[in-house]
Amino acid sequence: MTDGFEKFWSDVDEELGGFPARPVIERVPAKSTSDFTGYEVRLSGLGSYRLFGYFSVPTGDGPFPGLLELPRHGSVNHAPHYNDRLRYVVFTAMHRGQRLADSPFSAAYPGLFTSGIESPETWVYRSVVADCLRAAEFLAGRAECDPARIGVTGDDLALVTAARRPVFSAARVTSALLHDAFRGRLHTGEYPWEELNDLIREFPSAESGVERTLRVFDPAGFAADVRADVLLALPPTGSRWRDDLLAGLGNRAHAYRMTGEDAADAAELDGWLAGRLGVRPLRKFSQ
Amino acid sequence: MARDPESATVEVDLPADFDEFWAETLRLTDEVPPDPELVSVPRMSTPAVDVFELRYTSYDQMRIAAWLTMPAGHPPGTAFPAVLHVPGYISEPSVLKSWSERGYVTVGLAPRGKLRSNGRFNPGYPGLLTHNMVDRFTYGYRGFYADVVRAVDVLATLPGVDPDRVGIWGSSQGGGLGIVAAALRPEVVRCVAAGAPYLCGIMASPGWTHSYPYEEINEYLRVHPEHERLLTETASYFDGLNFAPKVRAPIFVYLGMEDDVCPPETGFAVYRLLESEKELHTYPRCGHDSGLRWVIPLVEKFVDSHLHPEGVGA
Repeated sequence: MTDGFEKFWSDVDEELGGFPARPVIERVPAKSTSDFTGYEVRLSGLGSYRLFGYFSVPTGDGPFPGLLELPRHGSVNHAPHYNDRLRYVVFTAMHRGQRLADSPFSAAYPGLFTSGIESPETWVYRSVVADCLRAAEFLAGRAECDPARIGVTGDDLALVTAARRPVFSAARVTSALLHDAFRGRLHTGEYPWEELNDLIREFPSAESGVERTLRVFDPAGFAADVRADVLLALPPTGSRWRDDLLAGLGNRAHAYRMTGEDAADAAELDGWLAGRLGVRPLRKFSQ
Repeated sequence: MARDPESATVEVDLPADFDEFWAETLRLTDEVPPDPELVSVPRMSTPAVDVFELRYTSYDQMRIAAWLTMPAGHPPGTAFPAVLHVPGYISEPSVLKSWSERGYVTVGLAPRGKLRSNGRFNPGYPGLLTHNMVDRFTYGYRGFYADVVRAVDVLATLPGVDPDRVGIWGSSQGGGLGIVAAALRPEVVRCVAAGAPYLCGIMASPGWTHSYPYEEINEYLRVHPEHERLLTETASYFDGLNFAPKVRAPIFVYLGMEDDVCPPETGFAVYRLLESEKELHTYPRCGHDSGLRWVIPLVEKFVDSHLHPEGVGA
């Protein structure tokens, strides 16, 4: 990538490094059992913004393998699943604009994906990525977390996060959000990518700026810096992952072709991460 | 012993005043003029589909938002079939342009608490399932259910909609609320497609799963075990199993046989109680997606066969 790319992201790191997260961690009895203890965490991100996350720690002598759950695209994230709380020190992060991190900024859906997209500096995803990096720093800094066994899971924000914060030994990437979005929008009417089509339909002159911005955030540009083993989920047919991303990841990339049978797929994805982090696989549908 | 979802028993008490409770809830809703308002959204519209923001007033004077899509370029007076889509628990309201490209007016609803409908009611998410659940009169889902029923009424009276061709489609919360709305508006709803119906077997489900949203009930009772009787009482007024026998429209139900979110036991239970024309599709090795990859064409075919959009060979 260009020097501008590295400078852009170094500036984000520098901004984040310029102030402490000052987490406030509060125990939540409803999310605590004899097997784990649940907490709510509030911490500072870019722009003096207080972020939110769910944190859970297994009972017993740690450290435990860690799992960072990155936010989905949407206004709501569930708390971490019971099965993950049993096995991991897990942090489930909300980025700014999502429920529980929506003051003062409440994201619109549709709307978030094109907010400020006219330039990399103004696109809301600069802050969203920074929020993910902050979440990685929080989890990796916890004494309960085994630094040699930390995983990250989510859409392709997981690749960006793993590249900029190389604390992860495994990254499970369940879908593409940012990767190849400029071209991918042409093949779907689904939001959030349809937001790009809506914007360019109304303002054709915005197209080049949108393309330029998306290029700075495309996980392909981060792939060579990823140190974790990576599982890329492929849709039942075709692939959203371009060759340049796969080349950047090299032999760290592993692919799983989703079948559409989502319980079976979930078990495969769970088993891959469990194997990398040294815990037992668990199915959410109990027999 | 392995689970056998089809044979499992799920029972929900039917309160003696169930009908009275809902008649009163709908009477209170009917006292409020809906005042529907359609505002064009040119940015989201395409050459084939016009997109609008729909707002109407519902139970307790709350203003409810939705996305409405409509085939573009038709002369005034054209009446289209219409589909109401209710979102899942954590999903955003849909913008069903692809359905309008096939000849439908669609409404992607944001019932109270969803973004754009949360100015006065904001249970938090997660949190809706147990919001004020100790009391059926204050339970968060009371107004939420009323919002969906009112959406059916509003949709049927909008210009450009054929009131004799209104259907409902949704999965999870959308599947459960489809059953509820069809039961409470049997004279309007002509067909229902319900995937992985949520809010069916509400108090039994947390015994089968630790997945959200039902895990909210496990968490609530962890702190307030003494409230279990109250939650069970309230749930009986809102459980899809008690609405199912009142559905009169043809209904298409689809289930994932390894659904960790809405246990398939509850899907079979509600299906057994449906007395209208019905069909069931089950998908082994599938979870809460309920065979999405395969079932969507079947859902479209089912809805087309009952609502007959122009230009579709149904």
